Parts: sequence; structure tokens; C-alpha cells
Amino acid sequence: MGLIVVLLFAWMLVIAFLAFLACTFEDLESDIGSQSNPNSQVQLAAQIGQVNRFFNKAISGEPLSNAMYCATAGTIAWLLLLKLEPLVPGEEWKAAVLAIPIGVAVAAAINIIFSMTAHCGRTAAQKRFEQPIYLDVLYGHLLPIATHAFMTTFFITCIAYIQSNLGTLSGNPALNHPFALPLLGFIWGITVGAIGSSTGDVHYGAEREFQDRPFGEGKRVVYHGKITRYAECGVRTQKDIAGFCAKFGGPITGMTFGLIILFENWRSLVGMQLGGYLPNLAASAGNSSVTWAIVMGLIIVITLAVVNYVFVRWVRKKCGPFVGV
Amino acid sequence: MEPILIIFWVVVGGLLASLGAHLLPVGGAPAAMGTATGIATGTVQIMLGAAMTGLFTAASAATFTDSLLLVALSGAIGATVMICVVMLMANILYTFGCGIVPVSGRVDVDPLTKEPQAPYKTPQTDGHGVPNVVFVSGMLGGFVGGFGGALMYFALLNYADFTAGTAAIGSLSIFVPNAIIAAYNIRGTIEGFHDPKFKRLPFAMVTSLVVSLLCGIMVVIASYLTVGGTM
Repeated sequence: MGLIVVLLFAWMLVIAFLAFLACTFEDLESDIGSQSNPNSQVQLAAQIGQVNRFFNKAISGEPLSNAMYCATAGTIAWLLLLKLEPLVPGEEWKAAVLAIPIGVAVAAAINIIFSMTAHCGRTAAQKRFEQPIYLDVLYGHLLPIATHAFMTTFFITCIAYIQSNLGTLSGNPALNHPFALPLLGFIWGITVGAIGSSTGDVHYGAEREFQDRPFGEGKRVVYHGKITRYAECGVRTQKDIAGFCAKFGGPITGMTFGLIILFENWRSLVGMQLGGYLPNLAASAGNSSVTWAIVMGLIIVITLAVVNYVFVRWVRKKCGPFVGV
Repeated sequence: MEPILIIFWVVVGGLLASLGAHLLPVGGAPAAMGTATGIATGTVQIMLGAAMTGLFTAASAATFTDSLLLVALSGAIGATVMICVVMLMANILYTFGCGIVPVSGRVDVDPLTKEPQAPYKTPQTDGHGVPNVVFVSGMLGGFVGGFGGALMYFALLNYADFTAGTAAIGSLSIFVPNAIIAAYNIRGTIEGFHDPKFKRLPFAMVTSLVVSLLCGIMVVIASYLTVGGTM
């Protein structure tokens, strides 16, 4: 069976959809366990006397921890695929259905270990500030954290699997991505963490963490450490935060990664189509395909810059100069 | 002479990586709380994220083209697309999620659009969001960084005869110290080319030159020992 171009584009759209979901859950995973930048406030809160019931996870920066989970899951899935695929020739999807969830489950288990040790270690170090380790906070958050991490890693591993087999799934194995599945998992783990850290953390750090401060201003340096501890339903825990951020921060973060994956894969494939590289993979058309892809990338970039310019002007006009003290 | 080419392209790639990290607007942890302008994450992390996205596209481009310039441009544009989408979405989050107007904290007037910044800034903060000059600086940073990363990947793949995966890990590994040098130099946060901290760039360029030279020599030795020689 030769290359079916429509299948190529269809799988690319599936990847973009999975990417949307992956980064949504990545942001929520860092909200349900307080990782990355806003966790600096949770750390600071105890040190300035604000005893709190937050889950002080902060394993590392999000890109690196997500790279760890996704690379682990990708490696185990890849090893299992290596063993299982020869058993089901012609129906490799059956091997993938078994291999990917097992790999991701191992990564989620590793996440639980890191979360538990991170929280206990960080909170134990704050003993002199009389910050207790609340056992119900510890036990009650481990499974939600692992679930969110499972979802993120699962989608990223699926994306890596589809990308490393894109050609095989569409009929011509020459179009498989040259990187292996674990390396693709590593790369997208870093990217998904970088995006979740730079986009989604803002909703947690600037809005939910300081919910009792006025809406419409950056959080002043004097507010730092004085996080909201008493909230709508009693004392604040991460479960209140994840539910809130899931309404805006999570989907926006997901959309960021989804758009990036969509733009990257779409412009490569359309470049290949316009340059004449598809469907027969003509070697002479390689340069023109890449040139087309670069030109489309430039158009996308310029459009985004213009959209940002118009957006910032609209915001400045709508909100006006800062009022208040 | 292949070893000279490898070392040359690795050094150029490393220098570009360091320059790109200086141009990228990094707000760090304060930016996540709306206390500083820029992207709300660390220097190395966002630079890696952008460079990895660029590397992904450059790797698939390298399978059907032999042109160094085209592969490097693919990487550059890939990284730029990633940074642009991130900055635009961050602005949407700041505006609709937190009600914050994107302004710079280091200049009173935006150097590119001439819009006043100080009246819109929250007192006792160092700016917030991603205003226009910061966006453009981020675009340039992503372009330069992605170009450098893809350049190194091409050199490792074609001149050092590494496999695709090894070349990717190799170029990533040379990329990271150069980005870290930039992170040291800017002491955590920078708004872009309009920031006074940008004038410290020459120090980082010298350090980056030395580090990349060492890395290039290591690549040549590794290539000679394992793959059997480009000497």
C-alpha cells in the first residue's frame, strides 16, 4: 500500500488534538501539586509565619520533571513494543494498546515517589517555622497528582508513538520521524513543561494563589508569601486550586501547545505537499518542500506578532492607566 | 577539513544559543505572579523548549534536504513559532485571567511603538505581561536560538556522522551550557534587547566561545573514536 496523503494529515490532526489535552493536564498537574514558579510563594508563606495546607511539591522545574516522566514512559513503552510487535505482525496497534499504558503507569508511580518525598522533605525543613506535615493533605493529593501526571504523560507518549510511526501508519515508513520514541517523549516533555510553566502558572500564581487581592493588578512585592489560605470552603488546599484553574488556565495552556504542534506539523506537511515531495517522496523536491514550510512559518510568525500588537493596544484602551494606590 | 568544520559550526551554534537566551524575555518566578515582565519561567527552560521544537522540525527537514541553511532556518522558524504562540497566550492569560495590562518595567516608553508604559504599571512591581517590544525581542531570541541549535544538529549529523538521535542529544547537550551561561549573566531575569542588562552580552559571548570550543573538540574526538574518523 503506498502513501495515503489524507491519512498523513489525519494523523497530524489527531496529534494536535492530543497535544491540546496533554498540556491542559500538564498545567493542572502543576496546580494540583504546586510545582514550579508559584510554589516559591508556598515555600515563602511558611517562612513568614503563614502556616498553610498546600501541597509543596516542587520536584524541579516543570520542563525537566515532565521530560523525566515522558522519557521514562517512552523508554518502557518502546522496550515493550520491541518485544510485543513481533507477536502481532500486521496489527501493531495491539502492541501499542498494551505497551503505552504500562509505560505511562510506571512514570506515574515514579511521580508519586517524587511528590511524596518532595513534599515531606520541603515541609520537614520548615519545622522551625512550625509548618506541620498534614497527613490528610499528603495522602489526599497523591492520587490526583498521579492521575493528572498519567494523563499528561499518556498523551505525550501517544504523540511520540504516532510521530515516530507516522509514515508506517500512513503507508510509507520513510516518513517516520528520525528520532526514536523515547527521544521524542523527552523533547515534548521539555516543551510541554516549558509551556505549562510559562503560560498556565500565571493563572495559579497571579490569580488563584492571591485570590483575596484585587483583580486587575500585578501582585506587588509586599504581597509575596501572603497567599490565600482561608477560602470559599474552609481552609484552602490544592484541590480548590486545580478546580479553579481547570476553568481557564488549563485550557489556555492546552491551546498553546495544541497550536504549536498544529502549526509545526501542518506547515511541514503542507510544505511537502506544495513542494511536490508527496506522495512519491521525490528526492529532488526536498529543498522546495522545506522552503515552502519556512515561508509558511514566517507568515504564521508575522501574523502572531500583528495579533499581539492589536491585542495589547486593545487591552490598554479597554483597561486604561492604573487606578488606585 | 571536517574537524575544522565541526568545531566551527559548534562554536557558531553555541554563540547563537547564548545570544538567543539573552534576547528571550525571561521573567522567572516573579513573572508568574505578575511582578515582572516577560515569560514566566526560567531562562534555560524556555530556551530549551523553543530550541527543542525547532530541532524537531529541523530533524525531519534534514531527512530530505542537504542544505545547511534550509535545515537551520527550519529550526529557527520552528523555535520562533513556539515562542510567539507562548507569548501571545501568556498575554491572553494575563489579561483575561488576572486583569493585568502588559507593560514593561525597565523603560518609560516602548522603544518600538512609543506607547507610555509607566501609567499602566502596578506600583511596587517591575512590570507585567509581554508588551510589544518584549514580544519582538522574544521573536528574535527564538529565531537565533533555534538557528544555533539546528546548525549544531546538522553539523553533528552530517560532518561528525552521528545518528539522528545522538546528534539531537549532542546538540541539546551543547546548547544547555550556553543557555546556562546566559542565565548566569543576566542573573535570572531580562526583558529583552532594551533592558540595560543586555549590555552585559560580551562577557557571555567570550565564555560561550570557550565552552563551545571545548565541546567542539570533544565532538571531534568522540566522532573519531566511535564512528571511525573524520580525520
